[in-house]
Amino acid sequence: MQIYLPIAEMSLDALLLLGLGGAVGFLSGMFGVGGGFLMTPLLIFIGVPPAVAVGTEANQVVAASVSGALAHWRRGNVDFRMGAVLLVGGFVGSTLGVWLFTILREIGQVDFAIAVCYVVFLGIVGALMVVESVRAWFRSRNPQAPKRKLHYHTWMHGLPLKMRFRRSKLYISALLPFGVGVFVGILAALMGVGGGFVMVPAMIYLLGMPTSVVVGTSLFQIVFVTANVTFLQAVNNQTVDIVLALLLVVGSVVGAQLGARMGARLRGEEVRIALGLIVLAVCARVAWTLLAQPEELYSLGTTGRH
Amino acid sequence: MAFRILALFVLFALPFEAAAQRIVADLSSREIQISTGFTGAELLLFGATEGAGDIIVTVEGPHRTEVVRRKERVAGIWVNGASVTFEKAPAYYWVASSRTIADIAPPKLLAQYHIGAERLPLVSRSARPPEVVAAFREAFIRNKQAIELFGSGEGGITTIANRLFRTTISFPANVPTGEYQVTVYLFKNGRLVSRDRTPLAVHRTGMEAQIFDFAHDEAPWYGAIAIAIALVAGWLAGVIFRRS
Repeated sequence: MQIYLPIAEMSLDALLLLGLGGAVGFLSGMFGVGGGFLMTPLLIFIGVPPAVAVGTEANQVVAASVSGALAHWRRGNVDFRMGAVLLVGGFVGSTLGVWLFTILREIGQVDFAIAVCYVVFLGIVGALMVVESVRAWFRSRNPQAPKRKLHYHTWMHGLPLKMRFRRSKLYISALLPFGVGVFVGILAALMGVGGGFVMVPAMIYLLGMPTSVVVGTSLFQIVFVTANVTFLQAVNNQTVDIVLALLLVVGSVVGAQLGARMGARLRGEEVRIALGLIVLAVCARVAWTLLAQPEELYSLGTTGRH
Repeated sequence: MAFRILALFVLFALPFEAAAQRIVADLSSREIQISTGFTGAELLLFGATEGAGDIIVTVEGPHRTEVVRRKERVAGIWVNGASVTFEKAPAYYWVASSRTIADIAPPKLLAQYHIGAERLPLVSRSARPPEVVAAFREAFIRNKQAIELFGSGEGGITTIANRLFRTTISFPANVPTGEYQVTVYLFKNGRLVSRDRTPLAVHRTGMEAQIFDFAHDEAPWYGAIAIAIALVAGWLAGVIFRRS
């Protein structure tokens, strides 16, 4: 069943989009991630213009994160103070990111920038995830191995503007979560993702937050940052396709619930190894587009409008 | 429709004017509407000539500025490098003929009337050498052909009794909106004897048009509504699945 997407200005099979949403939703529910990093490359792969894929995916991530954020809020797993600082950074970062996106689009380098971001960040995060969970998996088999120290004292703890985050049991400089927020905000705007795959490790390893509040706080921040990206992409670039977003949302919310049930039955380390491998596979696929000789060297560009 | 066909018959009833041989044509529809289920369109072009001759039909879409970019290998990575901008390039171009175009008229005449994609006046203010701009021009046509916005049907016009002719023109799902110009040419012994023009409009209609216009005219509201829909959909999904 073909449906014409008014902003992407193309027609695609509605069932394919629902299925795509369902499949990515299933994986995101199973692994507890937003799924933006899978959906955006897939949309580009089936022919959606990259700018529209990124803008629309931000809109879809709002929907994908809000029910999770509400659930964690009810269970008291959100550190609102930390979330607020991350959010301020996130707003600054995503506004900067959309501005950067608009400029890159005008000079014809946005596809390249999206691809490079994907290769670099998915490569790093995927590799770390696999290494870390393989280690954890071996540790669980061999309980005599020495445990890692939980908390390191580094230069980061000498930064000014210290704040007490009671829920996270932390007394650290507000500049740290602010910086994380800015960085993730830029990525959210450029890559059409929530940024959970960067923020969650940053919260655990960089800020030292307890894992119980990490997911809830990150989802809380993602809802607002992706909402900001959606708004700014709609205003600056007109690249948010409501029809496309709605089809993906319907598919993904159903898929996510099924995936969450499946995920509950699997072991933590195994889930993380599997997720790490998927992340690396997406990274390799995008890297291939940059490295392989294109069949057609020339391409049609846009002149500000699409 | 019936009226137009009637008009054709009236034309035939008119007394023959040997000096000014005429060609007239019309389309099965003078507008293409893009709505929810749009997957492209096919229009029937039909017409009549006074006496035998060679027929060429061109359809030219909305003109706009188009950029062509060339990928270059930088440190092993393929990046967009040089670009050439073409002013007033047609977003859509289609040409059909009753036989091989090169046999119908001499190159000079074809160039004069810009018949054929390779003879379109693609103007560039680029300071690059002419042969480089020519390569970009060819690439522009090649890319347009790949997305079916440029096409041709040489020999695709069927004629009946040297009087009536017909052909179909196809428009893909990604056809740009705007004003189009359909031109029919009648050639005889390599000379142009008559020409007729018909306008064609491509526009969005219904919900598609409303969403597109809203997204461009009221962008902040569009953004806000997109967010609201996502919030409600996400929240609703959470509520439904928590109960089940």
